[in-house]
Amino acid sequence: MLKYKINECKNVQVQLSAYFDNEVPTWKRHLIRWHLKQCPDCGCRAKAIEQTDKLLRFVEPVKASDTFLSSIMLRATTIKATQKTHQSIFNRLGCFVESLQMWMRDNIRSYNLVYTFGLIFCVFTMIGVTLYSPRIEKLNPFTQFRSKSSEVQQERLISFEVILQEEPKRSLKIR
Amino acid sequence: MIVSDEELMLECRKGDMSAFELLVRRYQDALVNYIYYIINDYHRAEDLAQETFLRVFKSASRYEPKASFKSWLYTIATNLSKNEIRNRVRRNTYFLEDMVDEGEDVYHSEFMIDTRYQPDILYEKKERQQLIKKALKQLPENQRLALTLVTYQELSYEEISEILNCSIGAVKSLIHRARQNMKKLLIKAGIGGGVNVKI
Repeated sequence: MLKYKINECKNVQVQLSAYFDNEVPTWKRHLIRWHLKQCPDCGCRAKAIEQTDKLLRFVEPVKASDTFLSSIMLRATTIKATQKTHQSIFNRLGCFVESLQMWMRDNIRSYNLVYTFGLIFCVFTMIGVTLYSPRIEKLNPFTQFRSKSSEVQQERLISFEVILQEEPKRSLKIR
Repeated sequence: MIVSDEELMLECRKGDMSAFELLVRRYQDALVNYIYYIINDYHRAEDLAQETFLRVFKSASRYEPKASFKSWLYTIATNLSKNEIRNRVRRNTYFLEDMVDEGEDVYHSEFMIDTRYQPDILYEKKERQQLIKKALKQLPENQRLALTLVTYQELSYEEISEILNCSIGAVKSLIHRARQNMKKLLIKAGIGGGVNVKI
């Protein structure tokens, strides 16, 4: 019986702080309250916790100074201004996509995320193709051979021109 | 109708400065008070509180209302305060309040304010407050944080566990041990001996 009581007291004493802060479930709260009424030792410990808490609350809280708020708002405004100027191209792109999504959500009934991305992809591909159109010669593998053969022909022509003997405009007289 | 902190933060994300101002108004005193109890220097506490709010403002664009705003705010403040304590130890910086003898109130001591014509009660009250602050300062860092959060900020154990990044069970035990140590320190300082019991 005594051993049981000691165990119960130990359990209650561990929970006393949480009991004081209303951080124990209701059923446990009732049990602890009942135990505190029965056990003077535990009751005394609960009083000690209460007194410590009262003493801690005895300290007057400090307050922020009058200029605190204005100072923060000033600094926040400055930060906001710098953030706007340094907004990267990706952020702007993100904002554009977001606004486009919002527009589609409002205006297109069969709104779907896949459609949105499909549309964005199409638009960007078209812009890309228009701005940076690749040369067709580069894409066609046979153009390389064609160009090579034409080069050879040109070389031949040059060599032919070189070989072709022309009558000298001035002939040396041999004595 | 009271607008919740999370709603205000979402407005702030959209760029509404008045929402941010309202948030600062709500928490400025509590936050300065909290940091002051941890680092024990009023002017530095104000600086750190400002830094906390500015960090909140800077990361407003990335804010998602998943966790409680209050916990997030106090987590930032706690981390800044911890860094301040570490830097102070590294730099061996001592403040005037640290150098004053036990029980002496630095802002109300004789060389600052003449207390001869003030009532004794006021002086006693100030002295007692100073002793309590000193006892609180002697607690281990985590215990002090937990006790300050539960006593002065009146946060729940769940919120404290989020701020200190530990389990609720650990918070329970931290607060229990903090109160035990606090009681011992207060008895040692000559106050809090009303109930003579070992806790």
